[in-house]
Amino acid sequence: MIAIPYLTALTTYFSYGLLFAFGQIRDLFRKVLDWCRSNNLQGYAPICLGLEDFYIRRLYLRIQDCFGRPIASAPDAWFDVVERYSNDNNKTLKRTEKKTRCLNLGSYNYLGFAAADEYCTPCAIETLKKFSPSTCSTRVDGGTTTLHNELEECVAKFVGKPAAIVFGMGYVTNSAILPVLIGKGGLIISDSLNHNSIVNGARGSGATIRVFQHNTPSHLEEVLREQIAEGQPRTHRPWKKIIVVVEGIYSMEGELCKLPEIVAICKKYKAYTYLDEAHSIGAVGKSGRGVCELLGVDTADVDIMMGTFTKSFGSCGGYISGSKELIQYLKYTCPAHLYATSISPPAAQQIISSIKVILGEDGSSRGAQKLARIRENSNFFRSELQKMGFEVLGDNDSPVMPIMLYNPAKIPAFSRECLKQNVAVVTVAFPATPLLLARARICISASHTKEDLVKALEVISRVGDLVGIKYFPAEPKKEHQE
Amino acid sequence: MYVKAVPPTDLNKNTEWFTYPGVWTTYILILFSWLVVLCVFGCSPGMAWTILHLSHFLVTYHFFHWKKGTPFADDQGIYNGLTWWEQIDNGKQLTRNRKFLTVVPVVLYLIASHTTDYQNPMLFFNTLAVFVLVVAKFPNMHKVRIFGINADH
Repeated sequence: MIAIPYLTALTTYFSYGLLFAFGQIRDLFRKVLDWCRSNNLQGYAPICLGLEDFYIRRLYLRIQDCFGRPIASAPDAWFDVVERYSNDNNKTLKRTEKKTRCLNLGSYNYLGFAAADEYCTPCAIETLKKFSPSTCSTRVDGGTTTLHNELEECVAKFVGKPAAIVFGMGYVTNSAILPVLIGKGGLIISDSLNHNSIVNGARGSGATIRVFQHNTPSHLEEVLREQIAEGQPRTHRPWKKIIVVVEGIYSMEGELCKLPEIVAICKKYKAYTYLDEAHSIGAVGKSGRGVCELLGVDTADVDIMMGTFTKSFGSCGGYISGSKELIQYLKYTCPAHLYATSISPPAAQQIISSIKVILGEDGSSRGAQKLARIRENSNFFRSELQKMGFEVLGDNDSPVMPIMLYNPAKIPAFSRECLKQNVAVVTVAFPATPLLLARARICISASHTKEDLVKALEVISRVGDLVGIKYFPAEPKKEHQE
Repeated sequence: MYVKAVPPTDLNKNTEWFTYPGVWTTYILILFSWLVVLCVFGCSPGMAWTILHLSHFLVTYHFFHWKKGTPFADDQGIYNGLTWWEQIDNGKQLTRNRKFLTVVPVVLYLIASHTTDYQNPMLFFNTLAVFVLVVAKFPNMHKVRIFGINADH
């Protein structure tokens, strides 16, 4: 639950209103000036209506230098950020040749596999030499190598389900699977803060979509009861299928899903459960097996488990795991399997090796060390930030920590000040988050050392004082008598 | 001092910001601060309230009932035929937000006509403004385009 100081809510609305008003006045002047000048459309219709990109032109482009910064090295704990400059007030940005070494608080590098690893990288290079970077084919034609079969078995064993299927891209996994699983006459009930890939997949499926309040099992039950009683819209026939879609860790909140209650409600009303573990697989749980392990839910109770390899495994791609019949059906019908190029072999090898490291099968205990380190790092960082008076969201043990900024002017202020002091953070604003609740999202990694975290805390505290985001009273420092 | 922000179940990013706490207060504060600006010009209180009422009419009519669609392309244009008033609260009529937004122009009208002592040129404009605004907010006017004005091509 987010607690905003009332005055901050008023000032945030006022700032957005002012930005909106200025944008509209500038648009008005632009329309007047363009009336005199003839356009060179030659009878074709304009590509976008003037109002559709209002937000991008008048609000986003003003602070464009805080987003999309190019980097020039692997996204390890420290990386090189390319400097950019602009001559026309951020409308266009030009890259320079200079790079600054910054602390990386933005990459999804939960277990530290993003940079060269002593076990994974040699294996990936071997595979690159043997299998070449691309399979140059779809899975059904000629793109299934021994690596792909090994990867699917490995993932199924890791997640705890009978079978799995793997795709080359995480976003596509959600948006191509949901239309296959459910169609017109079905019902999708999704959490209000679900990721864009789930929203797009649900819209593309043609099923009716209902939204329940974020992480509130009681509201889910209310929505389920109402929908089952009413039936399909207009005909009131019973629904063909009901799927409830939730995420393991919500990437903008850092919160864990209330999985045991939600699974219990779904079993009671005979709805299927679809769990998207993009951020939680590999990062939480005693042996890294995700929210099911952390919250004590039996994997046989969740019908479809989806995840991506981008976050904890240092690779790319996504997977779906479920019963053998489900995976067999998906292999015949899913367009991402039939028409999209299969996952690149070195990427697949990276996943297999990183799973081996996590499970300890490579002969060392580095996996367990990484898991322990990310847990310690996250808990330490979160408690220190809360002591300093920042408003930090997220549950304990979650490596994602959003720091609330609220006001639109604080977004570029925080981002640019931190970059000046060599700390790179990711700030997120409307429309990825609600209008009032802009935030800076910090992703902790197992490759961050204690010194890195202490430096980050110092910088964030200084910048926080400058920008004015310590919304809660700071706890007084206690003197430790050792 | 602190208020709780519960994320709403509205998927339309153009209107969900209206369900958070503090919106009504901000709206009323903006109206009052504009009144202060007008008073600086040294006109009578009646003129100030009338100008406030009429400019409020122009601004809210343009943004609530004339402009259609959303200012971003993320939602692929599914709301392109609906004005902001028709999008708010997912199209449900007679919610608290809608009732509040209907009451504000009526209150402004009453104050404006009272402070001008119901004299004629101002009274006519004020009445026309409040009539247009309140009729546009009726539940029966949902998606109605009179004489095809502002309809889609």
